[in-house]
Amino acid sequence: MADTRIADTDRDRDRASPPRQRPALGVLIRASGAALLLSTALWAYFVYAAPLDHVQGRIQKILYVHVPCWFAAYAGFALTAVCGALYLWKNDERFDRAAVAGAEVGVLFCTLGLVTGPIWAKGTWGHWWAWDPRLTLTLVLWFIYLSYLLLRSFTEGSARTARFAAVYGIAGLAAVPLNYFAIELFGGAAMHPDNLARGSLGAGMGMPFAWGVVSGLLAFAHLVAQRIALESERRDSSWAVARGSGAERV
Amino acid sequence: MNALLAVLWKDLLTEWRSRERVVAMLLLSLLMVVVFHFSLPGGATTETRSHAPGLLWVAYCFAALLGLGRSFALELDNDAIASLARAPCDRGWVLLGKALANFAILAFVQAATACAFALVFELDLTPFALELAGAVALGSLGLCSVGTFFAAISVRTRLREVMLPMLALPFYIPVLAAAARSTTALFETGALPFEPIQFLIVTDASYLIASFVLADFILDE
Repeated sequence: MADTRIADTDRDRDRASPPRQRPALGVLIRASGAALLLSTALWAYFVYAAPLDHVQGRIQKILYVHVPCWFAAYAGFALTAVCGALYLWKNDERFDRAAVAGAEVGVLFCTLGLVTGPIWAKGTWGHWWAWDPRLTLTLVLWFIYLSYLLLRSFTEGSARTARFAAVYGIAGLAAVPLNYFAIELFGGAAMHPDNLARGSLGAGMGMPFAWGVVSGLLAFAHLVAQRIALESERRDSSWAVARGSGAERV
Repeated sequence: MNALLAVLWKDLLTEWRSRERVVAMLLLSLLMVVVFHFSLPGGATTETRSHAPGLLWVAYCFAALLGLGRSFALELDNDAIASLARAPCDRGWVLLGKALANFAILAFVQAATACAFALVFELDLTPFALELAGAVALGSLGLCSVGTFFAAISVRTRLREVMLPMLALPFYIPVLAAAARSTTALFETGALPFEPIQFLIVTDASYLIASFVLADFILDE
């Protein structure tokens, strides 16, 4: 029992590492930014050229924004949970930086999904909101990760904040597969269609959808890298202030 | 296991001597019954009675949040929470002991609240009292297991009274949905439906196991 427990005195001391340069992060930011510009241009062209849905009309084109937002949101929440688990295992502060970046960017895309969804719903179902299983679970997921961010704001002590947030982030991830498979699990009561299967999109709709997903994931990667860089700068400053001297690059 | 029983006994004895939490929880849930009565137009009509199971669970939920918030706040006095964390046992047992103590206190409050609901909404609960107690017990176990876990986290935060509902309520939704569904069916047909009860058992087990496994990361000195 005692062997497996983490000593709190060790766990709760400030684990901020000395400032150091992060060239790989800079490369990731620039590369993802350039790829994002290119893919967004291609995505915009394919969305413009895509045929109109003969039932829903122009409003159906929101699909190319709405669904990629969910892929990016799921990626953010998965990153938070995985990095949280790695933080608890390795006790390495770098995983905590990635976890907070994943949660913030995930919440951003989740919010975009929750905004674009009702716009589409009003145009096709005739009302803004329906308590179908996927919508309800999506709202719960959004609340969980907003609470995660609040928890980080209101907890004192960097190690404790990281530990509590890691636990909450891991617990919250349970809602992601439930959300994705909600239609299959709660079948009858669902208003959402089944998850997209290969070949289920109409002719000419596959390319804008695929480029939408690629652009969404590239935007996610770019924002996460930017957020990790920002968080690293913030912690470097805290480290320098705590030691009462200017931060010298190692 | 001994640690679980020791923490359970300690919490129940502390509550028996002070009666702080149980009185506050009871008062809140009874006040909610009165508020529900006056906020629903027409008094005890058939329509308002159909809302009673859902309202009952709203009262239970907020009473539980009030009591759970205090369960770890009490341990901050004299830094008793550090002693709990230093106990020579797995911290999961300490957390489960506190969850069971909260469950026992909440059960007492729920019984009194159900009687008040029966009086105010003119409901006859006696034909299915045992089934109702079973469904309420399953729902409460879910509320107390995950609620105690998040109470241990929120007690270490600023604005802990705000943080506990924020952290716990998203995880309460599946429990409340299944519990309210089973209670509604019980009120309407007199029998418990199988699906929500099965869902409650699975959710309770998941919450208890997760609380036990992750307790080491949230109970600290």
